[in-house]
Amino acid sequence: MHPATSPTAGPPAEPHHRTPVPRRRFLRGVLATAVAVPLMFGAAACGDDSAGDDGQVKLSVFWWGGEARAKLTEDALALYTKKHPNVTFEKTWQANQGYFDKLATLTAGGNPPDLFQIDDNYLAEYAGRSTVLDLKSYQDSGKLDVSKFPKSLLEYGVVDGKLAGVASGENTQGLVYNKTLLSKNGLPEPTTGQSWEEHIAWAEQVAKKAKVPGTQDPSADYKAFWVWLRQQGKDLYAGKDLGFTAEDVTKWFTLWKGARDRGATPTPDVIHEGNASDVTKQLVVTGKAATSWVWVNQMPDLKKNTKDELGVVAYPGDPSAQWARASMYWSVFKGSKHRDTAVDVINFLANDPEAVALLGTDRGLPSNMDLRATVSQTVTDPAMKQSIQVETELAQKFGQSPQVPIKGHSKVKSELVKAAENVQYQRATPEQAAEQFLAACRSAIA
Amino acid sequence: MGVTAIPMLLSLWLSFTNYDILTPLSEVRWVGLANYERMFTADPSYWHAVRVTVTFALVAVPLKLAAALGVALLLNRAWRGVGLFRALFYLPSLLGGSVALAIVWVNMFNRDGAFNSFLALFGIEGLPWVSDPDWALQTLMVLAIWQFGAPMVIFLAGLKQVPTELYEAASVDGAGRFRQFWHVTLPMLSPVIFFNLVLETINGFQGFTAAFVLSNGTGGPVDSTLMYTLKLYISGFTDLEMGYASAMAWVFLLAIGLITVVFFSTGRFWVHYSDGEK
Repeated sequence: MHPATSPTAGPPAEPHHRTPVPRRRFLRGVLATAVAVPLMFGAAACGDDSAGDDGQVKLSVFWWGGEARAKLTEDALALYTKKHPNVTFEKTWQANQGYFDKLATLTAGGNPPDLFQIDDNYLAEYAGRSTVLDLKSYQDSGKLDVSKFPKSLLEYGVVDGKLAGVASGENTQGLVYNKTLLSKNGLPEPTTGQSWEEHIAWAEQVAKKAKVPGTQDPSADYKAFWVWLRQQGKDLYAGKDLGFTAEDVTKWFTLWKGARDRGATPTPDVIHEGNASDVTKQLVVTGKAATSWVWVNQMPDLKKNTKDELGVVAYPGDPSAQWARASMYWSVFKGSKHRDTAVDVINFLANDPEAVALLGTDRGLPSNMDLRATVSQTVTDPAMKQSIQVETELAQKFGQSPQVPIKGHSKVKSELVKAAENVQYQRATPEQAAEQFLAACRSAIA
Repeated sequence: MGVTAIPMLLSLWLSFTNYDILTPLSEVRWVGLANYERMFTADPSYWHAVRVTVTFALVAVPLKLAAALGVALLLNRAWRGVGLFRALFYLPSLLGGSVALAIVWVNMFNRDGAFNSFLALFGIEGLPWVSDPDWALQTLMVLAIWQFGAPMVIFLAGLKQVPTELYEAASVDGAGRFRQFWHVTLPMLSPVIFFNLVLETINGFQGFTAAFVLSNGTGGPVDSTLMYTLKLYISGFTDLEMGYASAMAWVFLLAIGLITVVFFSTGRFWVHYSDGEK
């Protein structure tokens, strides 16, 4: 780093002192020790005495999300404290970006939160390394009541026979479209059950008439690829292996290359913008495409970013390829001193009518079916109402849940983006990109 | 010293293991040179990151130094308001590796950003600079070059040290502006150039923040901004392969050390110290 700039690394700037060197060294020493010691004794720091659950319990909880979610979650946790005055919470939350870095670092430091939010991108990684508590015994003893959960939703939290996470909400893939734009141009709305070819033809028609590309090109989007694969009788994963071949990927990339050539999708740089997971960058709200490929429960969030009316349907093809996906889970750290309490909190957040009413559909539809029905009747936000309605309709057509994505999934996701963009920017043919993608996937899951 | 050494040695040890952050250190497995082997033979994206980083440093560092020296020469004269300009040119460097700056930069160079609006005034249709794999890295280079204030200030200090007698003598001997620059300024300034070159090269190789912000931490579009440090970060924290990332970090340290050694060993051929010492 440069001496003349004020570097971000190193000890914080300090006023000039008569003996700055020893002090700085001292500070550095403290800092380094603080980093090194937990690293070295990380293993030793993980206590396992759940017997200490008498008297006051302070449970650390960590989740990602925005301020709205923080407010709802804090309210629900406060309600728990009200009912169990001996339990208080140390709450930490942050944006999705960087969340898993932080969670991994906390785990490495031997100081992970007792209770944390996780999603299917990382559940297998954490479960496979036995950092999360197997909740099966709590389920068996009835301390964790999941009897009102849809079976497939519950199973989507099972990794290698262990109940690694409890769904904190349910969602599924949803194709969100700009209703206002379509009706202004006298165009039909997309429907659940349309074929992929029909969808692309529709998008081309939109592009011609409304002068806005009809659909975001989802070739880089693993969840769209996944649904499409399941409709071909394949899957993203099969056991510890990939559930598809290079030919499947080639076909998928070729399908969308055709769509781009017909002008149904935006240009590659706009597709790239839309590939960001950020809700505010989705093309349907930035007005750069008429359709975005998202999760149904993101509808209310998307609506907040646009004045236009939005609609949502299933992804093209047979909707039975979609499934009740746990939008995210609650998991308990295996080494937590307060496991029993942590499990009880999960149970409370899933099954207490008041808590579920407080949380609403922020993390997806409530997992408890009885309470889901109650919440659906009381929701007032029209966008939320709509997403509940669509998902409830789709739920009747849902197929069997796939297995939870395996270790290496986050890399598979980013490799798909790279491969798809290589085709979009015409740096590779669909065949070449598919071969590279397969090779990268194999090394990622090895 | 020991407190720096221990984490460093720990990471050296980790580079020979399959450490994945989540597994406790007591359970990691020694894998010998497997991480290094994979890096050099089985990971094309590693070499891609090396290429991106070297390209970045080779272009951005010389241009940044040239800009710094050029502006320092202009600001080395005594005229009204020169202090203000010095401050203004230094300002971008004060913002240093700040995230906010990188965000502003990305928005400026978007398809519908300020830069393209400016081009539109002249009837030129701009490109989506930051989301085009052919231009994203160049955008980062321009950002790095723009922050030339720190070396500029050091150059200014160096220029003040050049004795005016030398210029007088040179002009008596009939040397013009350019020859004065070539035969007086540059040799007298060479220790400062050397200093700036070493520091800025190391800085250039370590570029991270801007690439991270521009690509949302992915190195995209299509890995065009996958700087070495970003690749290292992704391996360690996204892919949870901390052993592999540690190996990368050590190779990086050795490479930068080697480059610095090369600078120092060639320095004696072109760095001129006025007191006669080498």
